[in-house]
Amino acid sequence: MAGSETVIQEYPDIAIRLNVNGRDYVVTVKPYERLIDVLRYKLGFTSVKEGCGRGECGACVVLMDGKLVPSCLVLAIRANGSKIVTLEGLAPEGKLHAIQKAFLDTLGVQCGFCFPGVIIATKYLLDRVSDPSDEDIKNYLEGQLCRCGSYLRFIKAVKLAVKYIKEGKIYFDLKEVKG
Amino acid sequence: MRGWGIQRFNVYIPSSLEDALKVLSEKGSEVTLLAGGTDVLVLARTNIVKLKLVLDLWPLRKELSYVKKEDGYIKIGALTTIDEIYNSFLTKDRRYYGFHDLYWNFGTPYLRNLATAGGNIGTAHPLSDLSILLLTLGAEVKLTSISGERWVPLEKMFLDIRRLNRRPDEMITEIRFRETPENSSTALMKLDRRKGHAMGYIVTAAYMALEGDTIANVRIAFDSTGKPYPGRAYKTEEFLRGKELSLETIREAYNVLEKEMTRISDYRAPAEYRVDLSKVLMKRCLLLIKSRIEGGV
Repeated sequence: MAGSETVIQEYPDIAIRLNVNGRDYVVTVKPYERLIDVLRYKLGFTSVKEGCGRGECGACVVLMDGKLVPSCLVLAIRANGSKIVTLEGLAPEGKLHAIQKAFLDTLGVQCGFCFPGVIIATKYLLDRVSDPSDEDIKNYLEGQLCRCGSYLRFIKAVKLAVKYIKEGKIYFDLKEVKG
Repeated sequence: MRGWGIQRFNVYIPSSLEDALKVLSEKGSEVTLLAGGTDVLVLARTNIVKLKLVLDLWPLRKELSYVKKEDGYIKIGALTTIDEIYNSFLTKDRRYYGFHDLYWNFGTPYLRNLATAGGNIGTAHPLSDLSILLLTLGAEVKLTSISGERWVPLEKMFLDIRRLNRRPDEMITEIRFRETPENSSTALMKLDRRKGHAMGYIVTAAYMALEGDTIANVRIAFDSTGKPYPGRAYKTEEFLRGKELSLETIREAYNVLEKEMTRISDYRAPAEYRVDLSKVLMKRCLLLIKSRIEGGV
């Protein structure tokens, strides 16, 4: 109504709709909750890690409508109606994606805290550049911090993943994965 | 623990620009504008700022996210992300290759998908890369409020670190700069120990127009020239204008820059080093622009 003061309710519950990994969810959130809180604590996608909580480490990145975003810097209400892909949604149940297989084959994962973010960032890279050079890989993975220092293995792993995808092997059965 | 470390605040989701401006005019002083969120939410997370009412500008992206040419101006909507600027015609135009440098020097891929042009100016932080580049293009900022709009030159926007020349009921809605002549180009450079996620000990951007070997026009901006916000080196520009571009000229300009600039010492770099770096990056920027005008990258 024109002229009337805008009334704002204190911390209301807001229902938002999210499509996470191809499945629709309706979640009630508070205005100050972040996407990472909803994904981890309300929907149980625990591959989304809170490393720093301030967009520096890249452990919490997800694909939101195809764009790589840190879920710790996105308010849940802002994600309303969007399509989100986390590590869990990369391959169908019981299978591993070529990127995951490549990271295992090259021992690119050490402690494993950063690697859900790294794999999602790799997916984002391969969506944009199908045959990345070393420089591309460095440019796209520059925000993924790894305290174990596996950075050189990341490059090897991404190259191996590209090889798998070129050969048409996108999903692997768990049996095919060593270890 | 659920919602670990994040404070409580209310969020207003506007349905249109008009709606957002109405809320701003009513509750201006208690409102925090949230554009990309790559700065505000970090400050909130670390309890540096207390948020009361947040006005989420993301829904306004349908109105305020664009890069276009109009009436001799390049216009950038305030909510255009760095990624969208990179994917626009700007980075394909030799004159604006500075935006290419900007993209690859700006934070990380995931921050470039959130950080916006207006937010970069609104943050009023010395290391706002886009503001530094826009300073060299002589950009103006459109501030809109419910009672009207006004254009402010970008160099008059900053008052202090994190303090903007903006009334509480105004918001940045557009940035524009005049199209530059054919024989000109831009560049941005940053120096840090690492390339990824770099803040930069210093950030330098420059715009230069050449006529033959003579500098027809030049604008040089740094992350700081003495004040804690991005600024231009006017005296150095004045010195360079009309001279022939050569290493000797640039070396002479070093002396002018040295007198004009005051730098701070902190845990990242001492002031003398920062001044030295400023000179070197100014030289590199000008030489890079020369090669860009001549057809290189």
